[in-house]
Amino acid sequence: MAHITINQYLQQINQAIENHEGSFCAELLSFKHPHVANPRLQLASPEEKCQQILEPPYDEMVAAHLCTYAVANHDFVEAYKFQTLVVSFLRAFQSHKEENALPVMSAVTLDLRIFANNAEQQLQKKGKGQPGEMLEKAAEQLMSCFRVCASDRAGIDDSKKWGMMFLSNQLFKIYFKQINKLHLCKPLIRAIDSSNLKNEYSPAQKVTYKYYVGRKAMFDSDFKTEELLSFAFDRCHRSSQKNKRMILIYLLPVKMLLFQGHMPTHQLLRKYDLIQFADVTKAVEGNLLLLNEALSKHETFFIRCGIFLILEKLKIITYRNLFKKYLLLKTHQLPLDAFLVALRMMQVEDVDIDEVQCLLANLIYMGHIKGYISHQHQKLVVSKQNPFPPLSSVS
Amino acid sequence: MLFEQQSEYFFVCILNKGNYFNHLLNLFLNSTQLQSSRAPSGGWRSPRNKQQCQNQSKTQKNEVEAEDQEKEIKEMAPRASCQTMCPAQELWNRESQNRLHCFEVVPGTESFRKPKGDPLRAVKEYSRPAAGKDVTKPSYLRPPDVLLKTVCYLIDEIAGSTSLHPWTEVYSFVFDRLRSVKQDMIIQRLSGKDCVAILELTVRFHIYASYRLCGEPLRIFDPRINDTHLQEYLNWLFDCYKTGTGPYPNQEEFQTLGLLYNLGSSPATQDVLELPERLRQTPSLKLALAINQAFLEGNHVHLLRLVQKLDFLQTCALHRHLVTCRRHLLLIYSHGYHSRNCRFPLDRLAQLLSLEPSLTAELCQVYGIEVNQHNQVLFSKSAFTEPEQGELDCKLYHSIVSEKQRGLTSHAVLAERSEQRTQKSE
Repeated sequence: MAHITINQYLQQINQAIENHEGSFCAELLSFKHPHVANPRLQLASPEEKCQQILEPPYDEMVAAHLCTYAVANHDFVEAYKFQTLVVSFLRAFQSHKEENALPVMSAVTLDLRIFANNAEQQLQKKGKGQPGEMLEKAAEQLMSCFRVCASDRAGIDDSKKWGMMFLSNQLFKIYFKQINKLHLCKPLIRAIDSSNLKNEYSPAQKVTYKYYVGRKAMFDSDFKTEELLSFAFDRCHRSSQKNKRMILIYLLPVKMLLFQGHMPTHQLLRKYDLIQFADVTKAVEGNLLLLNEALSKHETFFIRCGIFLILEKLKIITYRNLFKKYLLLKTHQLPLDAFLVALRMMQVEDVDIDEVQCLLANLIYMGHIKGYISHQHQKLVVSKQNPFPPLSSVS
Repeated sequence: MLFEQQSEYFFVCILNKGNYFNHLLNLFLNSTQLQSSRAPSGGWRSPRNKQQCQNQSKTQKNEVEAEDQEKEIKEMAPRASCQTMCPAQELWNRESQNRLHCFEVVPGTESFRKPKGDPLRAVKEYSRPAAGKDVTKPSYLRPPDVLLKTVCYLIDEIAGSTSLHPWTEVYSFVFDRLRSVKQDMIIQRLSGKDCVAILELTVRFHIYASYRLCGEPLRIFDPRINDTHLQEYLNWLFDCYKTGTGPYPNQEEFQTLGLLYNLGSSPATQDVLELPERLRQTPSLKLALAINQAFLEGNHVHLLRLVQKLDFLQTCALHRHLVTCRRHLLLIYSHGYHSRNCRFPLDRLAQLLSLEPSLTAELCQVYGIEVNQHNQVLFSKSAFTEPEQGELDCKLYHSIVSEKQRGLTSHAVLAERSEQRTQKSE
């Protein structure tokens, strides 16, 4: 591959097209393939050669692809421009039957997104252009490919609908870079949910898809997130350590919040290099001080991952666990002062009896404590049976 | 109103992306033209004109280059040469059509059949983008320095005036004229320090208005419309902070106002959390984050106590969440104190809610909570009910905000910088 002539290369593509070898054709158009390193293929004006051997629109597509000199020179802005041309030609023949389309589309759109990413970074370094501009344009292109796929009427074997999940995943990767673009995921999710192919896509695609949809659910405080992220984690291939870690970063806080009995083991955290969660896990058992310290120590990491806010929700659970410890005194009437002492020991600043009452009222309202506060007696009176319902039973 | 905004954006999109869209469209059309020359059997080996294709490919490559050049020229945005707050042509038109606002006429001529326009007080009005209207004519566009002067005039002389009444009229006028400033800014692709200065003044105005006009009839002031525009200005301002080179001395003030206005919102909170450390550690942002955290935890006792530390404008920003906070407190207390013998002192509750006892009793009534003749609250979770539409008048419970305004003129609130404001209110 690294030494063939341009004619040989073009002949190979032509054959692949004629024999309907979609995957091979896709490889020949992908930047992951070794042919990209071949200096004989890095031409400034390959149009003529391409037209001699290939039919439209492949001739112009491959010509645009061959402007790989741009990539060789690390000018990703140029590379992105040419890749855009490749994608737009792709759309032209997507509107008629052609089984080569999907694998080629996958390869080509993936490269488009990667170039857009690199181009963004290049522009940022030079201080030119608006941030997010390149990615936005790439997203528009991908979105129109998605629409072509979604509206395809062909029978299930030839349907372009098989390309929908791949494209969604590409678009998720772009949209998740900016919080205010997340709402753009909704139409994609809706389209896939309502399609009959929803469960038939490849496992790898499904794992990626559920990961992003799970993260979006987390953002929307939708408790479906646990199910989605668990699926992604379980089905993710054992060897993809990095991906499994990424899923865990979001699955762990959700699990800690919803099922206290499912705290991650130290082994698990070490295996996936997530020791940041170790102190948090320990603290949730009732050590408010440790929780605040842990959150503050790893603040940067948690904020960058976008899980800081959900971890702060663990405070309520920690209060509940802390207070539960105090009720092990086998009495069902506890003076409010006792809780105040407990909080002060945890170095919670300026808390007074009024705030203690508010915290307790909140826990009662949320169903974490069964009982009531007596203002006259300044006591918390709890039910004799099951005063602290198990966390998993509380919504 | 929403439609107007959409058309504004359409307009901007056309300016920014029109060339690119056209380019893609051309590529697509050219390809489909080639397609139609194929044999109907569907096979795509068909005779074609080699020369035509060669030329087409070359023209397409040239098109890409030409488009780039055009884009560079467009980067140098439309020229603006109008040096007055209102373009002379518009002033003349509106004067002859008797469409001047009473704030724009020469004093003393208001009652004339055709009041005379005062060029020192007339301000370009907002006009919907429409087909055929050329809004990029230089004589109609005000350059950045004129825009800033215009906004300062609107804030200092109109919004900050003590003699212009009623304030609903003031709001209407300033709202509209600020919108026109925004239009000029968008057309010229304004960014950087000028943009920030204008947006900061605009944001203060809308935040103040959200409090001051709370409770006015919908046809005079619609909080949702005010909100829509305010969110847009906030997002634009924060974008400028993010992408500009700075320094922006007021950034602390406005990130704080933004968080308080959007209390409890995940995107707003996440945005603030992602700010650089030195900003997050400033006193006002730390306080705003603490208030936000208390809101998320449902600890409204703590929240209302922290609110005492906010200054007047900050409390204005937070004011629309007060109803939610107080409601939640009454709700959880209805559950937490639910017992047959509950006797919670009204005075204590009043303190927690930051309200007068008589108003506290009224608020309890609105939520169906019983207060007996000994001024004791009988919390009960079955008694708590949501108020009917319109039964709860937010304005009655404004004391927590209004008491901070003592001695502050609206001008002081809107025009000056935060350090000076806190000094005044102390």
